[in-house]
This record gives sequence, structure tokens and C-alpha cells, in this order.
Amino acid sequence: MEQFFTKSEQIQNIIKGFNLTKTLFVSSIIIGEANIGKKSLARYLFPYSHLVSGRNQQEVEAALEEYDELIITDFEKLNNQESLDFDNKRIIATANFIGNYTTIDNLFAFIYTMPSLKERHEDALYIKEYFIKEAQHDLLLEEKDFNLSKVPMDLSTNSKSLKKVIYEHLMIHSMDKQSIEEAVYTYLLEHMEGNNAYKEYLELYEKPLIEAGLKKYGSQLQLSQILGINRNTLRKKIHEHAID
Amino acid sequence: MNTLSIDFQPFVEWDNSPFVLFSNQGKILYLNNAAEILFGYVSKQELYDIALAYAPQSFGYKTTTLTLSYDSFNFYAVTVGYENEEHISIRFYNTPRVKPSAPLESGKLMTTDINILLEANIALFKTKNSNKLQLLTDQDIPSFKIDQNNFSKLLRKVLDAFRSSDSINISLKLLIGEHVIILDKKEPIVQLSIEANGRYNDADAEIRMLANQSHISVLLKEHVIKLEIPLIQ
Repeated sequence: MEQFFTKSEQIQNIIKGFNLTKTLFVSSIIIGEANIGKKSLARYLFPYSHLVSGRNQQEVEAALEEYDELIITDFEKLNNQESLDFDNKRIIATANFIGNYTTIDNLFAFIYTMPSLKERHEDALYIKEYFIKEAQHDLLLEEKDFNLSKVPMDLSTNSKSLKKVIYEHLMIHSMDKQSIEEAVYTYLLEHMEGNNAYKEYLELYEKPLIEAGLKKYGSQLQLSQILGINRNTLRKKIHEHAID
Repeated sequence: MNTLSIDFQPFVEWDNSPFVLFSNQGKILYLNNAAEILFGYVSKQELYDIALAYAPQSFGYKTTTLTLSYDSFNFYAVTVGYENEEHISIRFYNTPRVKPSAPLESGKLMTTDINILLEANIALFKTKNSNKLQLLTDQDIPSFKIDQNNFSKLLRKVLDAFRSSDSINISLKLLIGEHVIILDKKEPIVQLSIEANGRYNDADAEIRMLANQSHISVLLKEHVIKLEIPLIQ
């Protein structure tokens, strides 16, 4: 059975509304940004309902003929919204946005708006933890391989960007020398061309080297000693790579 | 036939239309049952002023068409008359209840616990608004047949009219002794009343239409919306 975690009062009220109308023949729609858990919520509330996507109009029409209870995702993608007949059916739809308000208003008795992850700080933290566990499992990482508190949060496209930033962070932070070499190798194999490649691609190594060095040691003087190069050479390279 | 010996007063007494007899000082000398209920919603002075305003120029009776409404009482005309300097009478003509034009689609009616639908709609309202809300309901109202989807839409729109109101009071009760005839059957009436310090009226036309489809009579006032819902069994 699917689980749905939320601390958001707004979503708890949505769940309450659905639980009350579970046995009634009413049509409801959940509207909210992409990747905020609308479909998971519908699945959690109606685990045994047939589910179709609004991307496929014929499938939706056929399902409406066959089932009394139906989940329709991506409702905004349906072109024939006006001609749908939800009488005496239990319809649960999800949509990223309201296309034509009048149509939605006519079709649905319950129009719920689901807040995005940005507005649900506690939920976002929970999902982040969940994704980290998932990524850890997928990438075969041990907890000692990375620092949990340094994993960034990116909610620009809700759970999608969050998942991406977590996987990227964990991959980068768990790479060993061999993986880095392989990554650079793959990149070069694909991109190398022209007549100045040596100098151009040296940047791949030099720029992060100097940037990390400056971050770690603070002064150019100290860094030139660590790197074992002349201070002027270092200054020239900083200028070359436009490092602040 | 000599009709002089017949006492006509009981006919006036039990007339559905309010009738009031005032003295020339504006004192009530007589009022029938319907007028007694009407005085729950309007002051004596107001009705006396109306009687004076629409009185005929000399002794006699005059009927004027006008629109008056007090709570759920609506009148389309008044007759004012006087035969001497001491008494003046006024009779109000009830506007007939508009019969819903659309027939009730019995195929869509499902036995429903109205409290569940109301609670779900309040939950929906709370996802969007944080207004204070008070609910007084009768959990013993029996389930009755209603078009669930249509009625939910109606409730959503009604509640939405109070989206920025303070201290919203919702009450749901059975109207004792009142009935409505639907499909040749006498059905009890449940009244849902929502009251606040004010409300939006942008969806009033839609509310009327949706209510009409479910044979619900609706009262739309500045501070209150009342739905009289037939309890179809």
C-alpha cells in the first residue's frame, strides 16, 4: 500500500475531504505544480482505482465507459474536456494547471489546490531524506561516503530538481580517482577537436585545482608554495581562467 | 343569499397573505396569522409607512404592483384601503414560489448523508481560507436522495461566497412542519443557513441555477444564504 507523508495542514484537509467523499459519486480534481505528489496522493487515497493519463484521450474515453471509479492524471492535457460526462461516477483528476476555469468548474464538484514543495518545508525535508536513502541504495554508497548536512536543497521544479541535485551531489562526492579519470576520459572522447585542444582542455584540470586551492589555503602566496609553482605563474593562470 | 350574517374574519385570519389593520395613529388593531410571522422580520412602522404611501387619494381601495421582500417573504403587490378616517388596512400578495423548470433527474439521485457532503465541503473551504467557522448541525438528519455532484458544486459555490467573511455561522436543521411537493409526494425540508458579516455575490446566478436543478429553494441576502433542501426519500 502506498504511503503519503505530509505535515501540511492544507493537504491534510484535502485528505479529509477525500476520505469523507470516498464512497460518494462526486468528481474531484487536485491542481498544483508538476512533481509535488498529486498522483501519489490520488494513488494513496484510491489504491485500487484504474488510472489513466490525460495524454491519451482514447484511453480516457474508453476507461470512462468501463469504470465508475477512475483516476485521470495530466487532466490539462485532455483536449475534449467539455464533452466528458462524469455523471454518477467517482472521478479523481490531477492537473498541473487549470486550463479553462469554467470547464473545470462545471465538471468538478471538488477543486483542490495542492501547495508546492516550496510551501511545504517539512514535507520537502522528509522527501529529501527519502531521496538520499534511495540514492544511497542506488549508487551503492555507505553513509560515511558523504556528509548528510552538505546535501543541497533545490526545489525549483519541486521533487524533480530535488532528486536531481541529490543524485548529482552524492555522485560527485563519492567519486574516487579512477571514476574521475573515467569521467574526464568520456568527456574528452566526445568533445575533443580543433587545433588548440591541449590548452583548452587543460582548463578541466587547472581551473578546479586553483579554485579548490584558493578556497582551501586562502592566499595566493601559500597556494603557490603548496602547488610548487612560481607566484607569478599562479597569478597568470588565475587571470587566464578568470578566477575571482 | 344573505351574506351579511357570515363572519368573514376567519377567512382573513387563515389567509396565506399577510393582512394588517392599522389605526390612524399607526397602532395595530388587527393582524392575521401570516402577518404575525411577517412581523418577525419587519417593523410595524415600516409597514404602516408603506400603507400610507400606497393609500388611495380618497376613501376606497387601491392595489399597487411593487416588489417587497423581507427575509424569505416576497410580495409582488399590496392593496391598501380605508372607509373612514380611523382605520387603514393593507394586504400583501405573496409572490408565487417559482417552480423549477427542469424536471428532477431521478437517475442521478443517490441516498446521501448530507452531513458528510457538508463536512467535505468545509474541508475544501479550509484548504483555501482560514476564516473562523462555526457549524451547528443535526447529525440525525436521515439520509436522503440527492444529485451528489450537483449538490457538492452548489455547496462549494455557496461557501465560496463567504471566502473573505469573518465569523461564518453554518447551521443545518430540519424545518419542522414544513413540506414541499416533489413528484407528487410531500417531502420534509432541511434548511442550510450560512451567515456572516458580509459576502460576495458574484456567483449568485450560478447558485440559483444549481439550486434550481436540484429543486432546492434558495434565499440570497446580503449577509446570509439559505438553502431549503427537499428531503427526498
